[in-house]
Amino acid sequence: MLNDLQLNSILEDFDVAYWKINLLTKEISWSQHFNYLIGNPDPGPNKFDFFLENILHRDYRYDFREHFEDLTTRFKPFTAEVRLKLENGKYRWFECRNLKSKDKGFSDAAVLLFVNIHQAKRDQYTIEENFFYYRETAEMTSTGGWYLDVNTNAVYWDNVTKKILDCPMDYEPNPEDKMRFYAGEHHGKVENMFKKCSKFGIPFKVEIKMRTLHNKEFWVRATGKPVYNNEQEIIGIRGVYQDIDEQKTNELNLQNSLDIIASQNSRLFNFAHIVSHQLRSHSSNLSLIAQLLREAKTSEDKLDLLINVNDISENLEKAIKDLNEVVTRQNNLKKEKQLVKFKDALDVVIASTSSLIKRENAEIIAEFDALNEINYISEYLESILLNLITNAIKYKFKGRKPVIYIQTYKEHGENFLEVSDNGMGIDLDEHGDKMFGMYKTFHRHPEANGIGLFITKNQVEAMGGSISVTSTVNIGTTFKIKF
Amino acid sequence: MDHPIELACIIDDDKIYVNLVKKIIEIKKLSQNLIIFKNGKEALDYFKAILENVSEERLPDIIFLDLNMPVMDGWEFLSEFVKIKNSFNKKITLYVVSSSIDPRDLERAKSFNMVTDYLIKPIELKRFEKIFERDVA
Repeated sequence: MLNDLQLNSILEDFDVAYWKINLLTKEISWSQHFNYLIGNPDPGPNKFDFFLENILHRDYRYDFREHFEDLTTRFKPFTAEVRLKLENGKYRWFECRNLKSKDKGFSDAAVLLFVNIHQAKRDQYTIEENFFYYRETAEMTSTGGWYLDVNTNAVYWDNVTKKILDCPMDYEPNPEDKMRFYAGEHHGKVENMFKKCSKFGIPFKVEIKMRTLHNKEFWVRATGKPVYNNEQEIIGIRGVYQDIDEQKTNELNLQNSLDIIASQNSRLFNFAHIVSHQLRSHSSNLSLIAQLLREAKTSEDKLDLLINVNDISENLEKAIKDLNEVVTRQNNLKKEKQLVKFKDALDVVIASTSSLIKRENAEIIAEFDALNEINYISEYLESILLNLITNAIKYKFKGRKPVIYIQTYKEHGENFLEVSDNGMGIDLDEHGDKMFGMYKTFHRHPEANGIGLFITKNQVEAMGGSISVTSTVNIGTTFKIKF
Repeated sequence: MDHPIELACIIDDDKIYVNLVKKIIEIKKLSQNLIIFKNGKEALDYFKAILENVSEERLPDIIFLDLNMPVMDGWEFLSEFVKIKNSFNKKITLYVVSSSIDPRDLERAKSFNMVTDYLIKPIELKRFEKIFERDVA
């Protein structure tokens, strides 16, 4: 059995203070260290009362007194966590419990230990606090954690992960079908990033589409980092899934709207430029005539100039008519889409251009078997075919019978229309980028008016498609429309 | 100051404008002769023919070049003409004349050393006359 002195010194080394209580007299003696901790006060005649009044935090007074009673009269074990006011006036956490002696009952003294647990208590609070923040953040941002054991392929999910994947809380992910939780289109990417992380320790942070238990696809930001053991071998991957479906969908919608606006803006800009340029060129001619009229000396000269005024007014009227036509076509967008048969649209076009076709002896061959109808605005389809067919005839190769080959087909799930001719062709290196601009004509041709392809492109794009062209000078031209 | 300039050249597809300028040049007797091209390609062919000695035609003293033309526009003509102009042993003054008021067009035109100035249509008669005088001085 240790004597008091030895015990004292050991307890002090461990920063433990204690009381020794004489169970018969209820007399309390404080260890040196206890005295030291509370600043060696003068407790007066009743140490217990002094302790309750001045040292112990008031929240614990009642409990402490109860416990103390239990210990000293009924030898019940005493354990409590309390706060004591130290010599610097600050409260610190202590664990308070009695030293168990083997032969209790016979003992006439009890020892009450005060162990400083302040740091541990603070750590515990910090951990609780951090855990609270972590859980709140995870819930609020729909961020779930996961772990993959690379040796057994076992997968562990936390509750938020289960929640965002629509799995019940008791769901256990099966290593065999873990890919089912990723959208098919991203399987390759997912396999690749997991392989890179488990083999080479390369972390990942990607935006991918996942699939819930109920097969609803949604966007997730996934991060993963390798977990090493002491031998620096990769034993697992740890990471989080963040449900960003709403943001991603918004982002994609925004990008989509942006693209539409940019394309409309560019069309408007182009149109404004055309309007300004077309009207300006006529008005500047008028102004030039006005200047000349002022200077003209004879009435003959004046009359001569006035003829020009007539020409200008005709040109101006034509320009306005063209512009008007472009605007009218743009406004047609409000019309409803419906299933249109290519053959029907072509028949309408051929009927309205029969005189031109007859005059030029043009031959039109149509192959619509692979794709015979499409959901479109019928007026647009007719207008597109009309423009491409009249273009092909207008720019025929002189002396060659114009042949126009029209074909529809499907490729990679997309619908296409091709209109090819054996005409004069065009040097695309020189004119390719301007091909579909308004009032861009490339041929010294009296009927080139420069608005047909501009309108065609506008119509195709307004319906969400695109148009491209390939051509060889003196051989022919092919227009390809992706619907 | 009779017939100060021997040969002026207009490259422009606007028939009315060309007619009016032709009239001004005749009335004011600004140039003895005038050649007119409907687009850049026609003009370039003319100059190339002179260069290859297959044509006895003369080189103009001054060129008025439009920008927006079919077949070959003013820009394309400029970039081609820059390549061959040093082969001519004659100073040729070139003005860009356009109805475009787009500042980018103006900047782009000024980026060519050989472009003396950018004239916005309608041209003013007084200014036009001065250009001919200055060119001779």
